[in-house]
Amino acid sequence: MSRGTAQRDRKVPTYCYQCVAGPDFLTVRVEDGVATEVEPNFAAASVHPAAGRVCVKAFGLVQKTYNPHRISNPMKRTNPRKGRHEDPGFVAISWDEALDIIAAKLQAARDQGLTDGSGFPRVAASFGGGGTPTAYMGTFPAFLSAWGPVDFSFGSGQGVKCYHSEHLYGEFWHRAFTVAPDTPLCEYNISFGSNVEASGGVCGVKRHADARVRGMKRVQVEPHLSITGACSAEWVPIKPKTDAAFMMAMIHVALHQRPREALDLQFLKQHTSSPYLLGTHGFYLRDAESRKPLIWDSVSDRAVAFDTAGADPALDGAFRADGVEEGPDGKIWQHTDIPCRSAFATMVEHFKDTTPAWAAQVCDVPAETIGRIAGEYLDHARVGETIEIEGRTLPFRPVAITLGKTVNNGWGGYDCCWARTMLACLVGALEVPGGLLGTTVRINRPASSRQASVRSMRDGFMDYPMNPTDKENWRSRPTTRSAHSTLIPLVGNSPWSQALGPTHMAWMMQAEGNEHLPTPTPPDVWFVYRTNPAISFWDTEAVGAAIDRFPFTVCFAYTPDETNHAADVLLPECTDLESLQLIRIGGTKYVEQYWDYQGFALRQPAVEAASGARDFTWIATQLAKRTGLLEAYNGAINKGAAGVSLKTAAYDVALDPAKEHSVEEIWDAACRAASAELSGGADNQGLEYYREHGYRVAPFPRLDWYLYPEIIDQSLRFEMPYQERLFRIGQELANRLHEKGITWWDTQLSEYAALPRWHDLPSLWEKALTDNFDVDIADYPFWLVTSRSMQYAWGGNVDIQMIKEVAGNVAGHSGVIMNGGRAAELGIHEGDLVEIASPLSATRGHVVLRQGVRPDTLVMIGQFDHWVTPLAKTFQVPSMNKLMPMLLDLTDATGSSADLVKASVKLIERRA
Amino acid sequence: MTRWAMIADLRRCVGCQTCTAACKHSNATSKGVQWRSVLDVELGAFPDVSRVFVPVGCMHCDDPPCVPVCPSTATRKREDGLVTMDYDLCIGCASCALACPYQARFKVDDPGYAYGGEGKTRNEAQRSDPARVGVAQKCTFCIERIDDGLAQGLTPGVDPAATPACVNSCIADALHFGDLDNPDSNVSQMIRDNETFGMHEELGTSPNIHYIWAAAAEAGRGPTPSSPSHNAVSTGTGAIGGVAPWQQRHWDWRAAGNFIGGGSGTGLLLATIIAVGFELPLMPFGLLGIALVGAGLTCVWFETGRPFRAPLNVLFHPQTSWMSRESIIGLVLFPLALAGAWFDSAPLMLLAALAGLGFLYCQARILRALAGIPAWRVAEIVPLIVATGLSEGLGLFLVVLAILTTPAPTATTLSAVLLLAGLGLRAWAWWRYRQALSGSAPSGTLAEIARLHPGFLGVGHIVPALLLLGALAVPDFATVAAATAGLLAAMAGWALKFVVVIRASYNQGFAIAHSPERGVGGGGLGAKPGWSVVP
Repeated sequence: MSRGTAQRDRKVPTYCYQCVAGPDFLTVRVEDGVATEVEPNFAAASVHPAAGRVCVKAFGLVQKTYNPHRISNPMKRTNPRKGRHEDPGFVAISWDEALDIIAAKLQAARDQGLTDGSGFPRVAASFGGGGTPTAYMGTFPAFLSAWGPVDFSFGSGQGVKCYHSEHLYGEFWHRAFTVAPDTPLCEYNISFGSNVEASGGVCGVKRHADARVRGMKRVQVEPHLSITGACSAEWVPIKPKTDAAFMMAMIHVALHQRPREALDLQFLKQHTSSPYLLGTHGFYLRDAESRKPLIWDSVSDRAVAFDTAGADPALDGAFRADGVEEGPDGKIWQHTDIPCRSAFATMVEHFKDTTPAWAAQVCDVPAETIGRIAGEYLDHARVGETIEIEGRTLPFRPVAITLGKTVNNGWGGYDCCWARTMLACLVGALEVPGGLLGTTVRINRPASSRQASVRSMRDGFMDYPMNPTDKENWRSRPTTRSAHSTLIPLVGNSPWSQALGPTHMAWMMQAEGNEHLPTPTPPDVWFVYRTNPAISFWDTEAVGAAIDRFPFTVCFAYTPDETNHAADVLLPECTDLESLQLIRIGGTKYVEQYWDYQGFALRQPAVEAASGARDFTWIATQLAKRTGLLEAYNGAINKGAAGVSLKTAAYDVALDPAKEHSVEEIWDAACRAASAELSGGADNQGLEYYREHGYRVAPFPRLDWYLYPEIIDQSLRFEMPYQERLFRIGQELANRLHEKGITWWDTQLSEYAALPRWHDLPSLWEKALTDNFDVDIADYPFWLVTSRSMQYAWGGNVDIQMIKEVAGNVAGHSGVIMNGGRAAELGIHEGDLVEIASPLSATRGHVVLRQGVRPDTLVMIGQFDHWVTPLAKTFQVPSMNKLMPMLLDLTDATGSSADLVKASVKLIERRA
Repeated sequence: MTRWAMIADLRRCVGCQTCTAACKHSNATSKGVQWRSVLDVELGAFPDVSRVFVPVGCMHCDDPPCVPVCPSTATRKREDGLVTMDYDLCIGCASCALACPYQARFKVDDPGYAYGGEGKTRNEAQRSDPARVGVAQKCTFCIERIDDGLAQGLTPGVDPAATPACVNSCIADALHFGDLDNPDSNVSQMIRDNETFGMHEELGTSPNIHYIWAAAAEAGRGPTPSSPSHNAVSTGTGAIGGVAPWQQRHWDWRAAGNFIGGGSGTGLLLATIIAVGFELPLMPFGLLGIALVGAGLTCVWFETGRPFRAPLNVLFHPQTSWMSRESIIGLVLFPLALAGAWFDSAPLMLLAALAGLGFLYCQARILRALAGIPAWRVAEIVPLIVATGLSEGLGLFLVVLAILTTPAPTATTLSAVLLLAGLGLRAWAWWRYRQALSGSAPSGTLAEIARLHPGFLGVGHIVPALLLLGALAVPDFATVAAATAGLLAAMAGWALKFVVVIRASYNQGFAIAHSPERGVGGGGLGAKPGWSVVP
């Protein structure tokens, strides 16, 4: 009964990193040289948090490999006109010709200077999937590094499709590019739209399933009953974009309706800036000499520096003290015997009116529900309890609030991220066992360790790599087309910062430049890989129009799609089961990847590459060679551009910079370096070891899941609740922009508030649409939102039939989700064809009736609406992306917006 | 002994379909065929709504309804509880698929390549199995993995190499597999520690996918299980037809044609006894009767997935299969009826009529045995099918009598009286059948039956009865009136079978006895989408 024989039937270990919630292990069964089956890697069960398993997306890789729609040869465009209705006239060419064409374009650009007349890089690159393409692009990052400045600011969805505010504020407050509960210990989780069961990867799903069975209560607050809502103990159908009001009411309950003892006063006093005294201008009151923020010491009954030994900081109360305030641009106010109070007391006053009854009106959720949930959160916090982790006693606070897309980005994202983080601080649940944890860092450095990224600055806080706002150092001339380092101090300037955005600004400026910024220019050469912004961004018609104007686009292409329809050259790279690359695994990674190990995993060819496709590393090497950058390229690899440094004090397996190396030579060196790194230089197993075993790991301490120990060890405080630094930076940024004559960012500057205040966000959206489209917003009675699909999210797999088939089992994948009762009022039935229109545009789809969605809300899962991509173009499933306008009015201070628009529904055709 | 069983922990399942995909890989099922899938079920009405994900597939029942109905013995139950399929024996009649109340069986008539007209992909060329085309297929609990694993000394459910692919792949640890007869096995322990239910337990199949919905009450957490109650509003999404019952797609007009031809034909053969009594020529009645039976069988033969092996393999299971029995009687019926008609032999025709009665009864029992279709499985369908067959036969007899050149007024009168009795019998059987369905059939079935009722009763019974009474009262018009009545009676029977076989044949759909506990709270009410009255 067995299939095949031992010689002809083998299993190849590899990894899947198709989504940000990976990477995870798998094995590929290969029979007679043909990949036939994906299985978990059972051998990795003991080291992988999800027991060596992968999610449904990985099972699409076999069809991906043998998909008849694959582009099998390099191709060049023969029709110079670009556009949706233009046939590109792609013709097959040799690899030599393709690489020569690209190299010539690159060389021409280089000859004119690496940046153009506007100061923007002449070469741009867009990669999708939250950074995951780097796990598939071999040594291409080394080529880009060798090249010099590259503009990564043309977004593929980030800013509106990601956790943008959380990325920035999370890293700022607790080194948390993304945030997760300490699920294995958490007992009460309020999830505002976080869809972990759909987008949390196998580790997230496993951890939450274990937690449910253990008895963790999760409350899902969300306009529709998502997969995660389904798996929660309670669903609270909140009005879209009012989550901040809900959390502000929770803060009110904690501060005004519960005794102070319900809070973790020790945590607030010692590990946050709660006791810092505020001056009359809203800045910390500081010691006149040391300039240290002052606290009120209840022991000595006087103001002392925050780090005074033996002091007992007061939280509540009104005091009088001397000191100085430091305002923007070095402004100083001297004070003598002024009335002052702590940041905490200011916060108490700030939230005195945000009662559950008030929030009930805003959120369309009963006040009793909000009050009860706030109470349950406080009651589950176990304030005062401790737990021992690897021999160290830490606070045990098993409560966490998590935020999802549309909640933690765009206007209100700051408010929600702040409120969530503050609620953790109030009960001492930030970065402690059971509580709210960060996953990883992308803006701070080193990216490999949250702990190592913690460096103290003055005031007792963690340092943060803000883009400068002082007069001397502010970057008045943007270095990228999104102007990220000019407009967004919090986004920093790490290699990730450009891609964080505001990426839609890059697209918007292609249509119309912003006053007092350099003239917008298209890149001379644009590389695209694993992304399809013509489908996945917002306002896709505008993005598509910009793409069509780019003079030379190179797409690494698996099948035709809506973005590479405008390409000048298509390069078919070896796909997931055909190519070679070593990546880092383990430690803590987003979304819920918390490992007890760290190390490296190899993706290796399970089967021979399709004819015509080439390994990405080979392509990168050829481009480096043909552009005369081979030595710099090899140098970048040696420095670690392939994921691991090839030469350190402990080992040296560096490549000869002057030589061209084969794909196998490069990755063999990387494997040897990885072995040496993991063994402290003792071992140097190379490629063959990883081919056989698939991975190699070393223990990762559980203590490193938590940032709290590092904060304690460095005697630091979390910078909560009062945002004095952002308050100052906002004023400085305003000064800089106004000095340059820029006033179009003034609305965004209003977000730099020391304490967030509720803004009527639904009205903000409605006003923006009304102002920009001259419509009567009453004609658009629905809120249109989206929700991630585990089957599709980040996968680039819309052309895989099996994925389409199994996704069909999950409600909503066939059309637009609508409340059954509301549909009945409108005479709309299951399966009817409707037109969904926003002030920007309209789309069509079939109605999927559910009870688990608010009557005023529509849901479109995923991002479809394809018109070129094979198979997907036959789906007839609508996407909200073309309905969402890119508007400055809808852009917040971090440069993001949210997946949200007002829409109307019109019956077009009854279901047959 | 060994009894393999699967656990599906509804508290854990997130409906991700990873198991669905893993099954498709491991078993190389073709496009659209999902031996394992996960339903997406919604319970309640806004804002009090819950949503449950339910893995389904072959339940490998202790008392599987699919096994006795299989005419070829292709479907069997092993000692270890696994319900198996032999593709080389199966004739593709789909009886097993219609007997299964879990919609677990598939039958496809082409290889079903993923990219259709663009041919098979390399992995499909490597793995697709032509033996599966045109036959029934279903989840095997990955029988090869179990058997190969056991041969290597491995433990199914513990060692991945011996465990079903869906269980191995489950990212939420919702699926488990093991031996229920071993009290120390993982699954036995889980059943002891938790509250579980089987799907459609009221049908007595004893399914072996056991759904965990809460921790055991004695464990001190979770609600005390109560008798199942159901949400009034529930909907869902599933792979092959949804969650609520849908009209079965295995038997179409060709199968209905067999019941129409077989019922009318055998009824006519039985009515031919009247011709014997009145010494009328037997040939027209006998030939028409057997021709109708033959036409019906030809129709259904075209519906079998493997028509070339069907004539022989259909005979392999007379011990329990009414289809086998029908076929065997058919082997006797044809020569008897043809010889009786050809030789105008009353004894042979009487024997043929007797065989016809057996054939008709088998047809009724075929439907009744298909337990997956609520409209068919009620005992009351047997007298209905027999009564309508007799009525159709008598009706056609009157039509043939009218066409015959030889006047036979006495035979007409007697036949009219008998048809009146037959219509009375059919009306009574119809009333009992409708009574039986109310409360034991899904809403779709009840709606179709209700739609049929006025016409069936009026045009099929009242009008012909009045015509027959008129014929008895006014002899001058007796022949025409009786023939008209007969034709209406027959046509009403055909309509009945068309509706019962095709339109009212909603399957059982899916149901859960309890929604699961999610962390603290949430568990409780069950759901039975598509059923207005929960039996």
